[in-house]
Amino acid sequence: MIQFSDITSWIHETLSGLLSPGLTFLAELVLAGVAVLAMVLVFVVIFVYMERKVAGFMQLRYGPNRVGIWGSLQVIADVFKLLLKESFAPDSVDKLLFNLAPYLVLAVSFMALAPISWAPGLQMWDTNIGVLFISAVSSIGVIGILMAGWSSNNKYSLIGAMRSGAQIVSYELSAGLSILAVVAMCGSLSVHDIIQSQADGWWIFKGHLPIIFSFVVYVIASTAECNRAPFDLAEAESELTAGYHTEYSGMGFGIFYLTEYINMLVVAMVASTVFLGGWLPFHIYGFEAFNHVMNFIPSWIWFFGKIFFIIFLIMWFRWTFPRLRIDQLLKLEWKYLLPLSIVNLVIVAFITIMGWHF
Amino acid sequence: MKTVLRYLQEVALAFRSLWSGLRLTLYFFTHPRKEIITEQYPENRTTSINIPERFAGEVVLTHDENNEHKCTACTLCEMACPNGTIKIISAQVETEDGKKKKVLDKWVYNLGMCTFCAQCIDACPQNAITMKNSFELSVYNRSDLIKTLNKPGSKLKEKS
Amino acid sequence: MSASTIIFYILAALTLTFGALTVFSRKIFRAAVFLLLSLICIAGIYILMEMDFVAALQIVIYVGGIVVLIIFSIFLTQKAGERLPSRLPKRLLWAILLPVAGLAFSSWVIFNHPFAQTGTAPIEPTVHNIGLQLLNYDQYGYVLPFEAVSILLLASLVGSIIIAMKKKQQ
Repeated sequence: MIQFSDITSWIHETLSGLLSPGLTFLAELVLAGVAVLAMVLVFVVIFVYMERKVAGFMQLRYGPNRVGIWGSLQVIADVFKLLLKESFAPDSVDKLLFNLAPYLVLAVSFMALAPISWAPGLQMWDTNIGVLFISAVSSIGVIGILMAGWSSNNKYSLIGAMRSGAQIVSYELSAGLSILAVVAMCGSLSVHDIIQSQADGWWIFKGHLPIIFSFVVYVIASTAECNRAPFDLAEAESELTAGYHTEYSGMGFGIFYLTEYINMLVVAMVASTVFLGGWLPFHIYGFEAFNHVMNFIPSWIWFFGKIFFIIFLIMWFRWTFPRLRIDQLLKLEWKYLLPLSIVNLVIVAFITIMGWHF
Repeated sequence: MKTVLRYLQEVALAFRSLWSGLRLTLYFFTHPRKEIITEQYPENRTTSINIPERFAGEVVLTHDENNEHKCTACTLCEMACPNGTIKIISAQVETEDGKKKKVLDKWVYNLGMCTFCAQCIDACPQNAITMKNSFELSVYNRSDLIKTLNKPGSKLKEKS
Repeated sequence: MSASTIIFYILAALTLTFGALTVFSRKIFRAAVFLLLSLICIAGIYILMEMDFVAALQIVIYVGGIVVLIIFSIFLTQKAGERLPSRLPKRLLWAILLPVAGLAFSSWVIFNHPFAQTGTAPIEPTVHNIGLQLLNYDQYGYVLPFEAVSILLLASLVGSIIIAMKKKQQ
């Protein structure tokens, strides 16, 4: 079977034969960038369509069903609509920051994709701080939101941005602590090492109850970090029209919308890498025939399947629960999630020291 | 110790209540054929469309099989209407025993100005008017929106 | 000149430019954003030196924490959107003199310091090694500064709680 690492090494050899080493490196950078961009855009289109269909079915309606078969071309039509609209900056906004904010947010969410391992041997940057890098970079995203809210010169945008800032700064803590539980068990921050340590079983099965708990906490906290319902106080359309992107139109709004889904993709990738074994197949210890059948399914199907599972989980939340009030939101983080995850981390450290995990 | 237990109990209760909500939406998600209630409107307008009986479409003056209505032309509905949609034109007729009596001549209803608030229905002391559940009310000519609701030749129903 | 040197000079120039813009910008929110960009460029220099962990911490602490707090406090102040008044000449003089003196002092220290070669092998800057070194009480161990810093943080935590605490009703 052809592995992705074979394809990348073939590309590398062909380019090295044609160009000097420096130019090869540059060409590979461009190729990787284009590949990731195309991949992510395809994912986002699928996610938006999936979101609408899931929302429809959960609310006893069909969702989009007019453009194309089962409404499959609806998202493409919407993208064209956004592209054709004027990206308009109102008169009294801070023009520099107003126009910079969407691009900052977008760049940040693409940066978070760098250390992700997509398949065996297919990783852009194998750094020894992989998971920490992702959570560090995704904390820059809040600055873009604060910039958008401030520069719009609009009280709704400002309130939305402040809520979003408070929310992301608080929920980063419990998201980080829940990842830290797995990092403490496998002893490495590198994405590659974390995946390799799950070859004999995913952490969610190997790590007993504490890891299951930190998986739940991670999903909750990262939903809040993506500013998605039930934590979408930053946009809260019933109170703040659209929160921090009230004044944006056309592709300016489109980029914020795109970024929300890229952030979801990053969250799903991190959750599936850290808790569900990345691209590793599902194995049951002792069932050799079963494990062999599972090995036959390609790794990218495993990875994408896990991603879609997490995405479905997040969408399921969104269309079930009502929005939290700001005091409830902060209470949930500081009085429930954070103390519980600190206690959880202590338990995990104890289990690791005693060597009780598999 | 007691407070810690209560705290943990609160967390467990929260998960239980969240799960009951999630279970309901998952049921809706996995049973689309059974649960989806959206009407596929332009396709099924002649076949399977289901408009509830109490849907407030347009105002009608009910006539029975003898072409008789209950409107006494008291103009309470005209006064109740916030938009000036209704215009009651009454006529004086002389009854057999020589009394003058006010009867309904034209019940004029301007559909274009109606907001379907049903205040006229509430105001009517005789229950002469109701809301019909029809909803395809658009016409090509604006003057078609002004309707006379009493049928030609209809008359007031005698009190039995 | 190799690629890494070029990248270093680009990053250094960007850091200095954004730093200067932070000081000279007349809109306080813009100044905060330029400070943020300057800090991100410094994180880039750390990555160039293959100190990934320090770069990530730089982003987490300074960008994700401190700049967000600065922006928050700007949001909560009045008239933050207006241009600041022009500087007084007397203050301007001091503002030029003091940084120049600081720069002169630190460059004097750096150029006159005899950088001796050490025989100890460099430690790989992995998270594992940094963690071990941080809690080490042998030579070159950092457990004492680590504990001192944690006492400082504890003191600031207690202080902020006391400030935020509601006074008892008399």
